[in-house]
Amino acid sequence: MTSNLNFDGVPLDPTLLPIPMTAINLSFNPLHRKADLVTVTASSPSLSQETTAQGAIAATNVRMSYQSGSEVFHALKGVDLQVPTGDMQLLMGPSGSGKTTLLSILAGILTPTGGSVKLLGQDITKMSPKALAKFRLENIGFIFQGFNLFPALSAVENVEVALKLKGYRGSSARKEALVLLEQVGLANKANNLPRDLSGGQKQRVAIARALAGNPSLIMADEPTAALDSQNGHAVIELLRQLAKEGGRTVLLVTHDPRIMDAADRITYLEDGLIQTKPHH
Amino acid sequence: MGESPVRFYCFYIYMASSTIARKNLFEDPIRFLVAQAGILFAVSLVTIQLGILKGFLRSTSMLVEYSSADLWVANKDLVHFELVSSLPAEYLKKATEVPGVEKTEVVLLRAGRWRDPKGNLSTVRIIGFNPEGQMFARWPMGEGQLASLNQSYKVLVDRASLASLDVSKVGDQATIGNLPLEIVGLTEDTKSTASSAFVFASLETANAYSLAELSSNITCRRLPDNSTDCSNQFSNAPRDRNLPAPEPRRLNLSDPITYILIKAKSGEDLEQLRTKLAQAMPDTVVYTRKELSEKTRNYWEVRTSVGFILGFGAVVGFVVGMVIVGQILYASVADHLREFGTLKAMGASNWVIYSIILEQALWMSVLGYIPSMALCFALSAWTLKAKGVMILIEPTTAAGVFVLTVVMCVGSALFAVQRVTRVDPAIVFKA
Repeated sequence: MTSNLNFDGVPLDPTLLPIPMTAINLSFNPLHRKADLVTVTASSPSLSQETTAQGAIAATNVRMSYQSGSEVFHALKGVDLQVPTGDMQLLMGPSGSGKTTLLSILAGILTPTGGSVKLLGQDITKMSPKALAKFRLENIGFIFQGFNLFPALSAVENVEVALKLKGYRGSSARKEALVLLEQVGLANKANNLPRDLSGGQKQRVAIARALAGNPSLIMADEPTAALDSQNGHAVIELLRQLAKEGGRTVLLVTHDPRIMDAADRITYLEDGLIQTKPHH
Repeated sequence: MGESPVRFYCFYIYMASSTIARKNLFEDPIRFLVAQAGILFAVSLVTIQLGILKGFLRSTSMLVEYSSADLWVANKDLVHFELVSSLPAEYLKKATEVPGVEKTEVVLLRAGRWRDPKGNLSTVRIIGFNPEGQMFARWPMGEGQLASLNQSYKVLVDRASLASLDVSKVGDQATIGNLPLEIVGLTEDTKSTASSAFVFASLETANAYSLAELSSNITCRRLPDNSTDCSNQFSNAPRDRNLPAPEPRRLNLSDPITYILIKAKSGEDLEQLRTKLAQAMPDTVVYTRKELSEKTRNYWEVRTSVGFILGFGAVVGFVVGMVIVGQILYASVADHLREFGTLKAMGASNWVIYSIILEQALWMSVLGYIPSMALCFALSAWTLKAKGVMILIEPTTAAGVFVLTVVMCVGSALFAVQRVTRVDPAIVFKA
């Protein structure tokens, strides 16, 4: 259960890290100051009993319709989905099947026209937009197909943005951002702008940013779509580690069959309806 | 934990936004410079228009401002400093006799026609005063001495008026009416933008010039019915230069004067004194220096269209600036829409995003304002030196323009905020 290897598989020098790092898992301890949030534990104490029982993500009869002129398009026709805590689950399906729509709803970015979504035991469909934004900030890390890094900011500043949004201050934000970049093997690229990074490196910065503040949920949209095979595998391996060793729940939307081996569970979505197959 | 939530929240917003705001703004230096050029243009336009207006208004009352007189006695018809009817010279004696008056001085304002050495004519405003007096001529002297005016037909002109009078230096000669003159000194900062060039002279010389403008020759003949037939022939023909100019005579009671300047005795109540002066001299109004100055400025600002025109120019500059900054910020937001969407998806509040845009607006205003002011001060110095036109940028004007610039940029940012408010965070999932 150790993760003191960097992204390239090279053992990390523990003396270079500001804290001892025996596991990737970064957990939230509300008694600690934000600057001290990075602690090493083997479990994720922030998850409630209810979350463990119901799964980190529980969607019930989720429906989404769009009005297009006089016609109504049903993108999702009643989706039920359970993602257990700590699982890495894939959401696959052909283009237009509703994957991204479902991900947006599960992430609290889109409001469904029907049904309910519980994340970490809380029904996000009943939250106000402000409460929902706060919930996302505290609990969800996002990884995007197009990386969505801030092009004017260096790698470490990109990570810092997320940390600052979560309340980290000044040098503690910089310190924590460097720790996160170290974890994804990019400590030596901390000051590079996104344009100076390869696709794989950009996605690793995005992963580091998604890890900022130690969220319980990671939601990724086609994280390997823009990467070559080698980088794609590396990213997936990192995400798998995050899920397994960090106690996080990872939900990925993907077309990429190379990822299938790494997942605990794969959900197929077609025409707005899902079919779940256990992977292992 | 001792921090107030508000303070913490402001700090949090600042910390979250400042890097993105600055770096996004400076990411594209060309676009940033174009934007700054637009702001520079707008701020400069506003500043110069206001500066010209302020400089113009100041110039109209500068001679009043420079004086140290406690009170100015003028004809009740006074409209502004240069548009005023005369007072009888006997009022000087009456003013001197009013209890509480320590000292009096006379100022004459006359019109004249200046003929430069090449024979070209221009109108001038002749201002006569006592060179030994202490209340009127307190302006900075560029060259020469006031005492030189004690000689006949010696004058001072403002350095900035030399070009318009077609002379170039101390010692140059010209004529007013048919009388000679020699420039014996140059004044600084006395030119009125609203008026003809000022020519400063002693009371006697000024009076001589005013009377010399036209000469008349009345010819009468007795008719057979014992009546007389008279004709008055006016002439402005140049004086025979071979003949010496007549020595200017002293003012007498028949000569009209324009102002009587009053210095009150120490501790004298000015309100009471002005009442006594007005009672002693019918058909006069007694102004404090500030009142006369403000009345003059108010005339030019309100009763003429000058204030409106220059003020309108400032408003146009403000609007142009708002449009430019608005376009730049709007385009910047459009270019970074995905980034704002990403921030929103991550859970950033709208205020974090607003603060980014507002911070950019503030940076633009500050970075646009500084070079604009530098440019305006440089222009102001150049116009004063080269053209004698003052673009007056007072500290209050500079501070006001800064506030306007911030308002302009922040106001423009509101357009951009509208754009980002509508951004759908779901765009982040679109590749």
